[in-house]
Amino acid sequence: MDDLKRDDSLYPIAILIDELKNEDVALRLNSVRRLGTIALALGEERTRSELIPFISETNDDEDEVLLSLAEELGKFVPYVGGPDHAQALLAPLEDLCSVEETVVREQAVQSLIQIAEQMPASSLEKQLLPLVKRLAVGEWFTSRISACGLLPTAYSLSADVQREIIRGVFQTLSQDDTPMVRRAAAQCLGPLAEVADAHTLSSAVAPTFLKLTQDDQDSVRLLAVQCCGSLARTLSRAECQSTVVPIVQRFAQDKSWRVRYNVAQQLHVLCIALGSETSRSEVLPPFLKLLRDSEAEVRVAAASKVASISNLLDIDAVTKLVLPCIKALAADSSQHVRSSLAGVVMELAPTLGKAATIEHLLPVFLSLLKDDVPDVRLNIISKLDQVNQVIGIDLLGQSLMPAIEGLADDTHWRVRLAVINYIPLLATQLGAETFQQQLGQQCMRWLEDQVFCIREAATQNLQKLASEFGPDWAKDNLVPQVLAMVSNAHYLHRMTVLGALAALAPAVGHDTLCNTMLPVVLSCAKDKVPNIKFTVAKMLERLVPLVDAGIADQAIKPCLQDLADDADVDVQYFARQALISCETVTAA
Amino acid sequence: MPATARPENPYASLDAQIEQLKKCQPLPESDVKALCDKARDILINESNVQPVKCPVTVCGDIHGQFQDLLELFRIGGNSPETNYLFMGDYVDRGYHSVETVSLLVALKVRYRERITILRGNHESRQITQVYGFYDECLRKYGNANVWKLFTDLFDYLPLTALIENQVFCLHGGLSPTLDTLDHIRALDRVQEVPHEGPMCDLLWSDPDDRCGWGISPRGAGYTFGQDISEQFNHNNGLGLIARAHQLVMDGYNWTHEQNAVTVFSAPNYCYRCGNMAAIMEVDEQMNKSFLQFEPAPRRGEPEVTRRTPDYFL
Repeated sequence: MDDLKRDDSLYPIAILIDELKNEDVALRLNSVRRLGTIALALGEERTRSELIPFISETNDDEDEVLLSLAEELGKFVPYVGGPDHAQALLAPLEDLCSVEETVVREQAVQSLIQIAEQMPASSLEKQLLPLVKRLAVGEWFTSRISACGLLPTAYSLSADVQREIIRGVFQTLSQDDTPMVRRAAAQCLGPLAEVADAHTLSSAVAPTFLKLTQDDQDSVRLLAVQCCGSLARTLSRAECQSTVVPIVQRFAQDKSWRVRYNVAQQLHVLCIALGSETSRSEVLPPFLKLLRDSEAEVRVAAASKVASISNLLDIDAVTKLVLPCIKALAADSSQHVRSSLAGVVMELAPTLGKAATIEHLLPVFLSLLKDDVPDVRLNIISKLDQVNQVIGIDLLGQSLMPAIEGLADDTHWRVRLAVINYIPLLATQLGAETFQQQLGQQCMRWLEDQVFCIREAATQNLQKLASEFGPDWAKDNLVPQVLAMVSNAHYLHRMTVLGALAALAPAVGHDTLCNTMLPVVLSCAKDKVPNIKFTVAKMLERLVPLVDAGIADQAIKPCLQDLADDADVDVQYFARQALISCETVTAA
Repeated sequence: MPATARPENPYASLDAQIEQLKKCQPLPESDVKALCDKARDILINESNVQPVKCPVTVCGDIHGQFQDLLELFRIGGNSPETNYLFMGDYVDRGYHSVETVSLLVALKVRYRERITILRGNHESRQITQVYGFYDECLRKYGNANVWKLFTDLFDYLPLTALIENQVFCLHGGLSPTLDTLDHIRALDRVQEVPHEGPMCDLLWSDPDDRCGWGISPRGAGYTFGQDISEQFNHNNGLGLIARAHQLVMDGYNWTHEQNAVTVFSAPNYCYRCGNMAAIMEVDEQMNKSFLQFEPAPRRGEPEVTRRTPDYFL
């Protein structure tokens, strides 16, 4: 390729090519990442005949370079002349499929899949299939692992005759001596099941699944279990019951907790495939066992499925069999189990209906709301609204009010935040009077929280309350309390007051806004802290569209003009911005 | 009538950059270059003992834990509404040194009166090549240019700050060669952090239970006892030394009978230490209050206590 250097326009390309062999790995990497540019400059013909053979020699490079190479080659079909010439790319990728580093191999397999999907049927048969067969009998286990990864794609793209061969390859690989290869075979069970025809499913996939689930390595069993879901989806109901169900039942008692953990995660999909009745008789018993497992991790996984599985069963089974487990899980010694349960237990309410929810679930909610661990409390409080629809907020409010009042001052700020977000909903149900009695003061206290996010959420909350209960209520119950806080000694709290006033402004009457609130905001322009002054400017900007033009001209603009001449640059900036938008409003 | 053309906001592109950074997206190299140029023009005019007004919120090490920096703003308030003083160590160790230091520098350029950023011992060419910032720049930009831009800028960062002539803030601690603030003001700071000497000590020293000066186990700076802190505060009419530099499990730690305090703002430091973080709010009456916080919840991390390690699979 030395002739490239003589052509000036190709000089940068010549450098990139040189740098593919440079000693500095950063330069080689850079060149590999721009392999597409090089190919474009060389043209399709020379890319095939010179560049590809040239880079095929770089196989003993650093893993990082090989990874980039594998990735780039996947996008290379257009550079070698389109799908008809795609086979030129197979050889270097085949080599990369057998290197030691897993990520490089995985990328090479991904790229091969990308290329195979574009190849014409004829070259698939002549090129890809032999490649898969070669990898499958490779001396090193690494190439055999890569062969597994290619099987689902090779299968889905092949005609019937070749599928027979692929089935054979798959079965051989699943009996490989090396556990790593069997693991790879187990991992391709699921994808293969998704694309397989009925014959392949029952003659190859299902039997292999059975065999791998009896493997003496728990890591292989573990991966085989993960395809229960895919198999259940694709097999007929009868086949599913005869093949998958016994395995699941056995695995639910596997001696390795990792296997049981994975079973627990597959049960939901299995229930969907089996339908309510069979699920109750076949899946529920192992599920109940997993809910009482001796390992916390397994209980975490099972607890997270408690609602989705129960919702597929009949109420009777849920009440009699699942609910006792739920009550036990709510008092589990592991916080992770309780947290997992708290994350989903609300979703049971619609299935159970009002009476059963009140009788059985409400005590569970209450005990989880008082949990020592913030995550548990948070999971419950942030999903309370799902229960409203079932038992009505009246009752929920009554029974939960003490708990909510307790959580309002929770030490964990995200719990406080979740409570605040729940307040507007509670307000609509409680009505103005009861609300004010029970929660009115609390809503004001949140405005002075130490945490900024809580103060901000408290401000939003006031706005929602004002629009719920109307301007008159807001004028009497919110505005005076907020105004009283304006002399707070801490600038961040004074700032919150300004934010709250601006938030309330659209929801109170014009009179209240102009006569009560505006003077206070304007007086803050004399604050000694610049941050307060520029906040005044920003808030006035929000008030201008809400007041009469006269007031804007006579009260707001002069104040902003003073601020625009302030000594502080930020005060100047925000005051000027506010003045500009005043002009826009007045002009409109 | 056609809407009168709104005058162009001079800060529009900078504001857009700040918004982008808040999403944890690094700026292009050209923007970093422009940003560092502007930041240098600002920092060069700041003093080695940069005066700061109260109220201000004082923060310690961040170390590239960008999500936790956002959590810090959720707790303490946003910039510019809340005034901030950061005491160094923005980079290294965490996954997002680039975004962290870019955001803080961008805020400094946009709101120079509202935020002060000091130099930590990690704001140095040598240290960043060992502890991650250099590699992160290489990974995110494909070359070391951005690393060079930032480390060149670090030379201009002020070494210490002084809140209302009362609270002396710096990354590390005191130096046996510096008795007064005027000694510090006289230093020529625009250089790489030296291996020894007064400038090195300010960024490397730690307070200690033992009296007097001691040899630091870090191999740079010194340890200094309560007598040293008391003497320094007395000589300079100070009430408190606020510093960062050391992991403290509660996020803050009073020491030397309230003559010094350590503030550390990287919760669960290195994603594994299990410590709380804290910031120190100094209000208009110079009252100090501490806000503690935990790591920001991170998406996609399962709640399982024992995850299956990947090598089993």
